[in-house]
Amino acid sequence: MAEPLLEVDELTVDYLTETADVRAVDRVSFRLDAGEFLGIVGESGCGKSTLLFGMTQLLSPPGEVTGGSVVFRGRDMVRLSPGELRNTRWRDYSVVMQSAMNALNPMKSIGAQFKDALEAHGDPSAEQIRQRSVEVLGLVGIDAAHLRSYPHQLSGGMRQRAMIAMALLFTPQLVIMDEPTSALDVVAQRSLMSKIKDLQRSLGFAIIFVTHDMSVVSRYSDRVMVMYAGQTAEEAPTDAIFERPLHPYTRGLMTAFPSVTGPRRELAGIPGAPPDLVRPPSGCRFNPRCPEVMPVCRSREPELYVVDDADVRCLLYAERPAEAR
Amino acid sequence: MADEPLLRAVDLTRHFRLGGMFEKQVLHAVDDFDLTIHEREIVALVGESGSGKSTVARLLARVYPPTRGEIYYRGRPIHTLRSRRALSWYRGEVAMVFQDPFSAFNPVFRVSHGVMRNIALHRPELKRAQRQPEAERVCQSVGLGPKMLTRFPYEMSGGERQRIGFAQALAVRPKLILADEPVSMLDVSIRAGVLNMMAGLRDQEGVSILYITHDIASARYVADRVIVMYAGHLVESGPTEAVLGDPRHPYTQLLLSAVGDPREKVELISSDTGEPPRVINPSEGCRFRWRCPHAIEVCGQVTPQPMPVGSTQVACHVAAPAPQGLTGPAVTTKT
Repeated sequence: MAEPLLEVDELTVDYLTETADVRAVDRVSFRLDAGEFLGIVGESGCGKSTLLFGMTQLLSPPGEVTGGSVVFRGRDMVRLSPGELRNTRWRDYSVVMQSAMNALNPMKSIGAQFKDALEAHGDPSAEQIRQRSVEVLGLVGIDAAHLRSYPHQLSGGMRQRAMIAMALLFTPQLVIMDEPTSALDVVAQRSLMSKIKDLQRSLGFAIIFVTHDMSVVSRYSDRVMVMYAGQTAEEAPTDAIFERPLHPYTRGLMTAFPSVTGPRRELAGIPGAPPDLVRPPSGCRFNPRCPEVMPVCRSREPELYVVDDADVRCLLYAERPAEAR
Repeated sequence: MADEPLLRAVDLTRHFRLGGMFEKQVLHAVDDFDLTIHEREIVALVGESGSGKSTVARLLARVYPPTRGEIYYRGRPIHTLRSRRALSWYRGEVAMVFQDPFSAFNPVFRVSHGVMRNIALHRPELKRAQRQPEAERVCQSVGLGPKMLTRFPYEMSGGERQRIGFAQALAVRPKLILADEPVSMLDVSIRAGVLNMMAGLRDQEGVSILYITHDIASARYVADRVIVMYAGHLVESGPTEAVLGDPRHPYTQLLLSAVGDPREKVELISSDTGEPPRVINPSEGCRFRWRCPHAIEVCGQVTPQPMPVGSTQVACHVAAPAPQGLTGPAVTTKT
């Protein structure tokens, strides 16, 4: 098997506060091949953003990576020195944040912000900067005239696209996106997702796409990882997860949103609320909300089990441990 | 007035002046908007951000007065409510639930504070000793235990807080609840619970709800009628199944195609990038015409009025041409 672009192994992130240590990301592992699109789905507080921040050394105290490794192009990203990090960050991978409104500098024009990024990784001429900036704006379908615009002069959808243009300045191999569409209206959301997928097809970069909305990733991702309470609940190819969700939580998520087509049916949702990670439930972390809970779920902690091409953390599938791979 | 609906708004218009003293910039948030809400009915107001749907809610709640037009509550024009007592009566009949359950509560008070205060203010028939049982009853009707009343907001999850938001609204025993995006800040897994609770309030408590949302799928799930807004105008309204099952207005069609079914495969719809409408000093004509695949000449000259098409009202020159003159080619198929 070819070397993966990114291999996350047992990554653990703790928030070390005075009163309690909270394990926000608990031994999460996954691999990503070049050009692959991985969707990470989970509810607020499940650790999905912390996972991204941990991978990219963007955590601020009290958050801290306390275990595991993130090997990207042969180097462990969580152990890079600030100098090495500065070198590779944005050139080899880039991050698109949830709210472009806050990620762009309101005091600088779009062009000036592109220039800053380009100059941080080389010594381009004014003409090269202009050329590249016009080029990436063209990629996301924004008129070059907007290089002189300030963020407040752009609509939410355009800001988010400008942010993606900025992430593509160096044609990185990996673009990490943290809910880039959740602040947008449905039509703008759909259009942005199609744009992202088109760019990925033509430029060949890999994407890690974090979202709380299962329906956003369903049409675009190659694989989906569902997170619950800091852990991987299920990871599988997108088609498999939509056709045959294995984890009761994944099944709950699939039936939690109403559809605009087909018959109107009663939605159950998932009763209860996500657990408090200061005191996670014993055994399986989903057991207090699980419709298929068994007595053993309250005492035994499930591992990841392999079922066909999926990994699932649920005792229903306990007879096939993941180590057998 | 036997047929008088619970609430009726006619030609509702709200403009906001922008800029300094000498600039003549006017933002048309809502223009000539008609709305009726009957008893025991959930009406969904659907539109994207900037379409004016929250402005409608604030006009109905009397946060600010309309620039033009009138709102009748049980046949009574609400601008005539001036005295403290009359206003208090109206606020006891029409309650509001806000979008963000994390900022809608005072963090230093237990949640019982808001509920009990509403009971004390708007339910004079209840004696002091009856207030606590009543607070517990409204808590139960939104699916929470009575113990929740002693909690502080920070001790509750988002879904629980939003239910408390509804409990606070219910405490005044309203006939109508204006719910502005009540589920959009909640996690997917708990949205269904709040939507089901809304349907339960209509069926058991007999309240009407104006459900404001950008999520057309959830509108279909709970609403009896749907009103679609675009750039301050009503574009289509009618019974839920009629509007969403057979959308006539190109904007409604676009909205529905953008949602699609998550389990379906990708098929690209159009090159529409979802740019929001400009409503500052708008010119006459249909405000959707720049994005509309069917736009014809008249769309740039005359603002379309809602016309009956089957059981729905559609404001579109192409899908629902005005009866006399000003006709365009009839469009029967979607492209």
